[in-house]
Amino acid sequence: MANWDDLQKSSFLESSARERALGLVDKGTFTEFISPIDRMSSPHLPVLGEAVEFDDGIVVGVGLIGKKPVFVVSQEGKFIGGSVGEVGGAKMVNTIKLAVDMYDKMKAENPDLPEEKRPAVVVSFETGGVRLHEANAGLLAHAEVMDQIQDARGKVPIIGVIGSKVGCFGGMGFVAAATDVIIMSEFGRLGLTGPEVIEQELGKEEFDAGNRALVYRTTGGKHKYIMQDCNFMVEDTIASFRDQIAEVVKISIDEMEGLRRIGSLELVEEQIKLVELAAKMQPSDSKDVWAHFGNEKPEELTDMPYDEFMKVVKRYPKQS
Amino acid sequence: MALNELQYEFKVDNPTTILKENYHYGVVGSGDMEVLMEKKDLGGAVKVKVVTPVSGFDKVWERVLKKFVTENSMGDVSLEINDNNATPVVVTMRLRQALAELVKEAEGGDK
Repeated sequence: MANWDDLQKSSFLESSARERALGLVDKGTFTEFISPIDRMSSPHLPVLGEAVEFDDGIVVGVGLIGKKPVFVVSQEGKFIGGSVGEVGGAKMVNTIKLAVDMYDKMKAENPDLPEEKRPAVVVSFETGGVRLHEANAGLLAHAEVMDQIQDARGKVPIIGVIGSKVGCFGGMGFVAAATDVIIMSEFGRLGLTGPEVIEQELGKEEFDAGNRALVYRTTGGKHKYIMQDCNFMVEDTIASFRDQIAEVVKISIDEMEGLRRIGSLELVEEQIKLVELAAKMQPSDSKDVWAHFGNEKPEELTDMPYDEFMKVVKRYPKQS
Repeated sequence: MALNELQYEFKVDNPTTILKENYHYGVVGSGDMEVLMEKKDLGGAVKVKVVTPVSGFDKVWERVLKKFVTENSMGDVSLEINDNNATPVVVTMRLRQALAELVKEAEGGDK
């Protein structure tokens, strides 16, 4: 395990789940729950002859950012695509639950609990969703996470960070959409049905999953930033994500509502407007949509360095 | 179909144990593995447990692990490995990396 200072400069994309968990909170503050030494691996994989991992592909724990307790959930894409099974799901659900319980307890003891001391949750997504080997438990875990996110609303901000190799797809794409804030790098990818699955189901003519440029301009960080599906875009280092998280946790919980994508009538109406726009425009490529939002040379955006992109990009004008 | 569990025990002359109570290293990616090293009173022996989907390589595991234990004069250590089709070269490399990182962390005290 690299030390904290080295991790800060490291590529977020290349980092393991444990490195991300450690590096996203203040130096020396991360405590892992149910670490590998507890050997809480999947009970379902051995009977199928599939390799197991001591942490079941997910690292959870708590650390500090300033005075704020930050609960971290970090998924490991290298282990069965970061898929969520029974154990990993339970770790995720209960970490969010702990944060909410902690908030309730702190608030009961101190009704004037200052914003800076309120707990927050960071979920570093790297997953294709449900682990098909333990599908029922995996699906249930997704529902329970959604439940916990709703319980946390108005109390504990849930911040999704996406910038790892596998991206965030499948059921976890829905979970990410239900968080309060999403931070991505341009290498992060977010969607519901993943590119390979679309190709498999509907053919190469519909979506060519081997076309990296197409995949990125449809699911990648830049497109999601333009579409307001992600709130903030950062550079690909752990420090950049960390700094952005540190900024986001300063936002008051009431203002946080305004950063959400779903969860109110206004937001539903907003999403429907986008669907209507898509129906009217019939775009053949993301670039058509970028142009529609005022990006005069959309083809130049894809390879543009971060700083320049952030200066020139025009985003979908959100109404609510 | 089920996972294979392999057990080994090695003993070398004048062994030393590891510098930390326990240490975890690696990710069980495809063709990769993780290892959990623990300090344990085993009368100077090293006990190894390997959990792997691969069958028929018991002898290869034994040679790779024995070499690692002998090279580093290890004793009173328990090693638990979760493997996912790692080749002997990868296994050797991961074990060496794990030990090097453990020493670095124990000496630096930095996390």
